[in-house]
Formats: sequence, structure tokens, C-alpha cells
Amino acid sequence: MILDDEAIMTEVRAGDVGRLETLFDRHQPALVRYFVGLTGNRPLGEDLAQESFFRVLKYRHTYQPGANFRAWLYQIGRNVFADHIARRKTEVAMPEEVPEIRGNEMPPDREFQKKQEAVLLRRALAALPGDKREVLVLSRFLDMKYEEIAAVLKIEVGTVKVRVYRAMRELSDRFFALSGERAS
Amino acid sequence: MSCERFREQIPECLAGRLDPAARERLVEHLESCAGCRTEVAELNAVWRAMENLKTKPEDAPDPAAKARFLAAIEGYKAGMGVSAEQQQTRRVLWFPRRPVWQAAMAAGLLLAGIFAGRYVAAPRQEAPELTQLRSQVESLRQLVALTMLQQQSPGARLRGVSYSEQMAEPDPQVEQALLYAVNHDTNVNVRLSAVDALQKFTGNPEVLRAMVDAIGVQDSPLVQVALVDLLVQVHARGAAPAMARLAQDARVDEAVRQRAAWAMGKLGGAQ
Repeated sequence: MILDDEAIMTEVRAGDVGRLETLFDRHQPALVRYFVGLTGNRPLGEDLAQESFFRVLKYRHTYQPGANFRAWLYQIGRNVFADHIARRKTEVAMPEEVPEIRGNEMPPDREFQKKQEAVLLRRALAALPGDKREVLVLSRFLDMKYEEIAAVLKIEVGTVKVRVYRAMRELSDRFFALSGERAS
Repeated sequence: MSCERFREQIPECLAGRLDPAARERLVEHLESCAGCRTEVAELNAVWRAMENLKTKPEDAPDPAAKARFLAAIEGYKAGMGVSAEQQQTRRVLWFPRRPVWQAAMAAGLLLAGIFAGRYVAAPRQEAPELTQLRSQVESLRQLVALTMLQQQSPGARLRGVSYSEQMAEPDPQVEQALLYAVNHDTNVNVRLSAVDALQKFTGNPEVLRAMVDAIGVQDSPLVQVALVDLLVQVHARGAAPAMARLAQDARVDEAVRQRAAWAMGKLGGAQ
């Protein structure tokens, strides 16, 4: 029988910490993506995800049985990220694997266009304020529903809706400013 | 409804999550509003472009990360010692249930706290007996750590590693026992924990050199990656040439070579 996350976390809370392995398998890859989306840095994203799971282990008593596990996990993840920022005062780094764009000498094929678009979009995303970048990472990269995002961020669903729209609007402005065009 | 309210629904619509009735109203509005149509076109272009930024979701966690986490769980279990139920029972046994006794106990603790605070706050020399006691406890910890590191059971050896981490002062014997565990222990979790425990000994250049040598004799890529990570964590710049060699060594696991190349960049080695 496949147990849901909440039932497993309730067992972990009760002392069966070995059951955390299943939750790690289910959620660690997405949590890494969340941190990579926030920081643009994969090794750092992996470290922050690891730290989040260590905190799940350490603070397992604070989990309220029945509460949405994923939302609780990402709340912990947000705290880990906030602590990281406070400790390091780092700026969001540009991803190292971004290919360099060199004028018009490259062949204008679709693949290159996509890469170029991705580079500009990454830059636009990295330039967004943290709260806007985060809401886009949660909704677009992790496909979370607004209700779940509201639980993670501890805000109203209506606020999530407005924040996602405004984040998209600002991202769009920055993206088209960088690419020097508007959608037709 | 104003244009602004309609526009706030666009991302939900692009994600396919807008309910049919709201979607119908939005489409109806778009037919008569050129401004909102442009807005949809722009946001749609960005929304689609974001698809290319999505990293391919992995089915399973990175094996090295998982091994570290499992080792942490094992260490945690070993450290728990008593079960949560036993802890609960103990708490119930000594803590009074009736509020009046709880209040009396609180008052007693407050008085004891004030008394102890005055005593602790007063500047004084540590009594020789206390210093001696500390030293004995530290020796006992060393002895327990060394004994447990030599046990048959991997769980006991893990607890030995855990004891060694509680020691205030790095001890050469424990240092050697941990290095031995990193190189020769048959259990990967013990080796991984020993790597973590070596962190407090990295002030010694000999330990750093031994760690670099250990990478070459390891048969587990997880332990090799853990060693590389620790060298980066302690900024062991002297390890950069070894990382460069490791990154080029075709006999080494590919993940380890990649990690070594990453470490080389972090430690300021030649690219």
C-alpha cells in the first residue's frame, strides 16, 4: 500500500525517522529545482535542499499531523533560504552553463533562438525581486496550485493570484527590454 | 469587471487552471479589448519561453545526496538512544500534573535560577577539581569513540563517529581512527560519517593530505564526492592540483570527475 506524504510524516513525527527516506525520494529533486530557480546555482541548490531535509529531521515534532506535507516542507525550505541569504548576503548568481551570445555570426536556427531566449529569460528572472521570482518558481517550475502556494507563503489565495500576475508582468517587461522587441 | 481583474486571471488561464465560467468571461472580454489581447500575447510568449528553463525533473535524488541524508538519519537514530515513547514517559514521571505543584516547582526553579545566576555571574577561577573532571570526561569520550570505532556492528561504529564529534579537543588517536575508518571501513555510511567527522581535524595539513590520498583508494564514488566536498568546504587550496588530476583520470567514476572539476574551480585551480 502506498502511503501519502502526510501519513508518512506522522510516523516520522512519532519517532520512525527511517521513513523519511521515502519523503526524501519523493520531494528532494523538486526541492533542488526550487532552490536552483531561486539561486541560479545547482550545487548551492543541492546543499540548501539537503539542509532543508536535515531540518525536517530535526524539527519533525513541529509537524502538525494532517497538515499538507509539501507546503510544510517548502516553508522550511524558505527559512533555509532566508538564513542562507542572511549569512552570505549573496546576490543571485547567473547560471554558469549559460552559453555566450555573440552578435549575428551564429546561424539563426530555431535551436539557437531558443537558447538565446532562455539566456535572456534567465537574466530577466534573476533580476526580479525575490518574492516575485519565488512565486513564479513555485507556480511555473513546480506547477503548484495557487492554494498550495498560499499555504507555503502563508498568504491568501487572492494575493497569490495578484502576485503571480504582477511577477509575470514584470518578467515580461524585463524580458522584452533585454531582447529589444515586444510581442506582436 | 475591470481590465486589471481580467489580466490577473491570465497566468491561471495559461496554466489551464482557470475554471470554465471564468475562462468564458475572459475570452468574451478579449474579443472587445485590444489592450488585454496584447497583454495575453506578451504573457503567453514569456509563459511558453519559461518552459525551456524548466530543468528535466529527475525521478530520483542524486545518490550522493541520498547517501548523506541516510547517514544523517542513522546518526540521528544512534543519537536518539531512547525512543520517543520512553522520553515521553520520563517527562510524565518527573513533571507534576496538578497546577498547584507545577506552580510550586516553577517558583522553586526560579529561586534556584536566581541563586545559580549569582554564583555563575561572579568572576572566579575554575576549581582544579572541575578542570580535572572535564579532562576525565574528555578522555572518556575519546576512549568510547575509539572503542566503538573498532566494533563489529556498523551501527556501533557510527555511534563511535558520533562520539568523536562531541569531543571538544581534536585528539591524534581519534584522528587516526577516523582516517582509518575512511580508508578501510567496510560500510559506506560509516565512511561517509567519518569524512564529516574529520572536519574538525582539517586544521592539520597532514589530515588534508591524507584526505586527498584517501580519494585515490576509495572504491565508493559517494565517499570520493564527500571527500572532495569537504576539501572545498575547508578551502583546501593545496588540493587543487590533485583535483585537476582526478578530473582527468578516466578510471575514476564520471560523477566524481565532474565534482573534482567543480572543486578545481572553487579552489582556484587551472581550468
